Amino acid sequence: MFYRLAGIRHTSYAADRALWPVPVDRWQIGVLLALALAAPFVLPNLYLSSYLLPWIIWSTAALGLNLLMGWAGQIHLGYAAVMAIGAYGTIHLVRAGMPFELAIVAGGLLSAVIGLVFGFAALRVKGLYLAISTLAMQYLVDWIISHVPAISGGSQATLQAPNFRVLGLPVAGDFARYYVALAVCLLVTLFLLNVGRTSFGRALVAVREKDFAAAILGVNTFYFKLLAFWCSSFLGGVSGVLLAFCYYRAVTPEQFNLDVSIQAVAMVIVGGMGSVMGSYLGAALVLLAPIVLNNLVGTLAQAGALPVSQEILSHIPLILYGGLIVAFLLFEPLGLAKVYDNLRNYFLVWPFRHARH
Amino acid sequence: MRKMITGLALAAGLSATALASAAAQDKAPIKVGTALDFTAVYTFVTAEYSQGQRDYIALLNAKGGIKGHPVEIMVVDTGNQPQRGIEAYERFKSEGAVLVDFLSTPVSRAVVPRALGDGMNVVTMFHGRSDAADGKVFPTIFPMTPAYWSQATAIVKYIEGQEKGGLKGKRIALVMIDSPFGREPVPVFEELSKRLGYEFATFPYPSPGNEQSATWTQLRRDKPDWTIIWGAGGGQPVSVREAMRNGVPLDHLASVIWISETDANIIGADQTKGLLRFEGVASGKDPAVIKAIQQEVVAKGKAAGPAEKVGSTYYNIGVASMALFAEGARRALDKEGEPLTPAKLKHGLESIKDFTADGLLPPVTITSEDHQGGGRGRIAAWDGSKWTAKSDWSAAYQDIVWNLVHKSAEEFKASGK
Amino acid sequence: MYLAELAINGALVGLMYALVALGIVLVFKASGVANLAQGALTMVGAYVVWWLAAGLGAPLWAAMPLALAAMFLFGRGLERVALRRMVGQPVIMIIMLTLGLEILLRGAAPALAGATMKRLDIGIGQQPIFLGDILVNRAYLVGGVVALALIGLSLLFFNSRQGIMLRAVSDDQTASWAAGIRVEQAIGLSWGLAGIAAACAGILWGSVQGVDWTLSLLLIKALAVAILGGLDSIVGVVVAGVAIGVLENVIPGYIDPLVGGGTRDLVASTVILLTILVRPFGLFGREDIERV
Repeated sequence: MFYRLAGIRHTSYAADRALWPVPVDRWQIGVLLALALAAPFVLPNLYLSSYLLPWIIWSTAALGLNLLMGWAGQIHLGYAAVMAIGAYGTIHLVRAGMPFELAIVAGGLLSAVIGLVFGFAALRVKGLYLAISTLAMQYLVDWIISHVPAISGGSQATLQAPNFRVLGLPVAGDFARYYVALAVCLLVTLFLLNVGRTSFGRALVAVREKDFAAAILGVNTFYFKLLAFWCSSFLGGVSGVLLAFCYYRAVTPEQFNLDVSIQAVAMVIVGGMGSVMGSYLGAALVLLAPIVLNNLVGTLAQAGALPVSQEILSHIPLILYGGLIVAFLLFEPLGLAKVYDNLRNYFLVWPFRHARH
Repeated sequence: MRKMITGLALAAGLSATALASAAAQDKAPIKVGTALDFTAVYTFVTAEYSQGQRDYIALLNAKGGIKGHPVEIMVVDTGNQPQRGIEAYERFKSEGAVLVDFLSTPVSRAVVPRALGDGMNVVTMFHGRSDAADGKVFPTIFPMTPAYWSQATAIVKYIEGQEKGGLKGKRIALVMIDSPFGREPVPVFEELSKRLGYEFATFPYPSPGNEQSATWTQLRRDKPDWTIIWGAGGGQPVSVREAMRNGVPLDHLASVIWISETDANIIGADQTKGLLRFEGVASGKDPAVIKAIQQEVVAKGKAAGPAEKVGSTYYNIGVASMALFAEGARRALDKEGEPLTPAKLKHGLESIKDFTADGLLPPVTITSEDHQGGGRGRIAAWDGSKWTAKSDWSAAYQDIVWNLVHKSAEEFKASGK
Repeated sequence: MYLAELAINGALVGLMYALVALGIVLVFKASGVANLAQGALTMVGAYVVWWLAAGLGAPLWAAMPLALAAMFLFGRGLERVALRRMVGQPVIMIIMLTLGLEILLRGAAPALAGATMKRLDIGIGQQPIFLGDILVNRAYLVGGVVALALIGLSLLFFNSRQGIMLRAVSDDQTASWAAGIRVEQAIGLSWGLAGIAAACAGILWGSVQGVDWTLSLLLIKALAVAILGGLDSIVGVVVAGVAIGVLENVIPGYIDPLVGGGTRDLVASTVILLTILVRPFGLFGREDIERV
């Protein structure tokens, strides 16, 4: 009843390959877009700058990592290091006078080049060993950033993000920063949505499923793996720039340590590997669940309903975060995207239980 | 999507209930927001610190609050993650807090630009940016206590006093954790070595400091006359043990402020006799305000934590932080009237003069240029069961400290553009 | 003499790392799963001993065996509840599961026991032992000897009946099933043994540095040892442990003064990277990884 599938006929190849052939889906996306654009005027500032903005930025990061983990099937436990490279690189470039639009691309390229070095490990090994080598590189980059004062900003090890301008307009205030982040996020989302429709995407899927079979078919697996690392690292660098300029506004090395890498991987896995919607959902859950839980636990404790010490209270979000990851992996390995998919399939044929094909 | 909307609705509903649950009073409550690290790097200090803060607030409320206003303290865990700190800060701001406290260098560094832009007061007791002592560049950041540079000068001053004939030709070694915190006092030590003529060497150990044998072996080769350890948390007892193993006499070993009764007991209370440390707040149960807390709060069952922690070092630092805040709030309400806003609190804090919090602190005077409060501290030694003072409250070599403060603050001002 | 002292202490510390790595190797040998929660298990083992000794007041000679038994059951329980469902899933899922378990344990243990550092005293004195001019850390000496003994025990174990069954399972699970070996039990046993190794490592490290959540950071060192030695080789664990311990102590001893400090952390990561790039299966590991 909700998803009118009757009467949808395609009369051209373009129509057949449309991203959202069902009109209800198109309306849904339209409404979401409108909400996203109107959010600064509707939401109170707290929700905008503490919940919506980091969610948008982390969705961008998760999308970038999804390209590598979901589409190309490679493991990357060092994504935060890649983001750090982009963030620090762009801050230094903007301070040196480069315009922000160029600097964000340059920062992304810097991440891509260094991230590519991570990717060369993929030349030799797969699976577990690849994961561990990216882990080692995370530590390495972490060490370099915190031990080279020229990069990290001196003995205080905090680097302020300078004021910047986009297209000539100064970006100051929560609204402007939100829109910059939203714009970049939309661009990245468009890119990810279309990856599946290109030969690049198809090659990645082939490499993910069985790389030697793909090689037999003539797909240059090594080239596409490296290309996946390149693109994903570029997107990681860009999202690191957004994190530094629009959200934190002052970067320290701790903001990009191993825990953050694990958080990014958790977002992709909990959301569903390979799914764009999944990146958003996963980012929302992993990012906001600890905060919501913290507040919930805090309010319950203040109201006296939870007679436990502050120590236990403050550890509960960590326990629940770990528990969330474990629970998802055990019970729904395909992630929140599958949950959404199940829901959609249910409503697709509602009020019937199933459709006869 | 749905989860996010439910999550947001839930969060909205909960913040609403949180606001509503503050019972209707005849005077509006004064709110303080503390977003501390209970679960990650600062676990060694946070539990006792927060307990001290909450007990002091309970004492204030038992005596009628600040000029009749009850004080509400909001406590949240950040896990040392800047993003959770930012979220907590925004929430405190929206709930009308006049002061926030993070007790975490990465989190406070991430929040400082926002706080400066919003005019929100941030207290950073004994940690954080040393250059925040410059009240002109950091108008709303209040260390109110000697930060690391002043602690370094105080230690050197004590050592100088112990060495008859001055420090010329002596060797001082700094064993520090390899992080920005550990490296922070190095410029001060180097500057002092030029002035006083001692030789200075650094021996960093990797974070988190549970394995330091190689560092101390290097130090033994160097044969310093005095050793200073600069770490925090788990690395400190390891440092002291290694020092003992390598033949460094404990009465020639001085530590930064972050070493407490817990650490001494972990090493072994009797074995740690003689160990020196910097002290910025009197420890123990003797200060009058601690006795008042024991009478009014602990005895009446309103304590926020275990009774044996009352009077420990970090507990007393927490008490001091809230005592300074209360004094500033009182002065603000006296001078500028109700209601209390962050701007008024700033003026109130900057008018604090010779405040000792009933024997807990050295006389603290804060002005709009000097947010450090005088930089006074003293050296204490462990006598087997508690820390006893070995020197008087005094500030040392403040000219070097302020040189560095101004230089660093200028850099901050320039880089923010 | 300086070099010798650094090397000897380094070797002993390396053996203590090897004890943590032993747990990783035991699990990988039997089930092919890299247990990234081993650091957290070590931390839990230390907390259990502390709780039995200090919290309940049990004497050490009772607390330690009890803790070992408890950790054996805990390891078996983890495998039964969490890992068994993941058989056949892609390796990234399993890695993520162990990471999730690590976060869970890192939150649960300090929550229940208190987050401040706890003292674990197993009676090792502070005075160093002198071999001529060389100062040897007494705690490390005891730790190294115990670690060596336990690793030797596990080598012996692998020659026993149960051990041969475990070796068969690690070689080929399907064939083991066909031969009548109960594979699930064998894997559960290997996890239990990993729990015991974690408990022993937790006791030793807890007495050196105090018990708190930072014990779980031993993971990266243990991983370096396991990778260098070969993820399925127990002999490799010893050799790699000594190698990494020595390198970690000696290299910074000479490079730190030049660079200004802190190179120790680099050693573990660099060793992992070099091993994976040059000889991915480690010094003694079995070659069965796919390559591009």
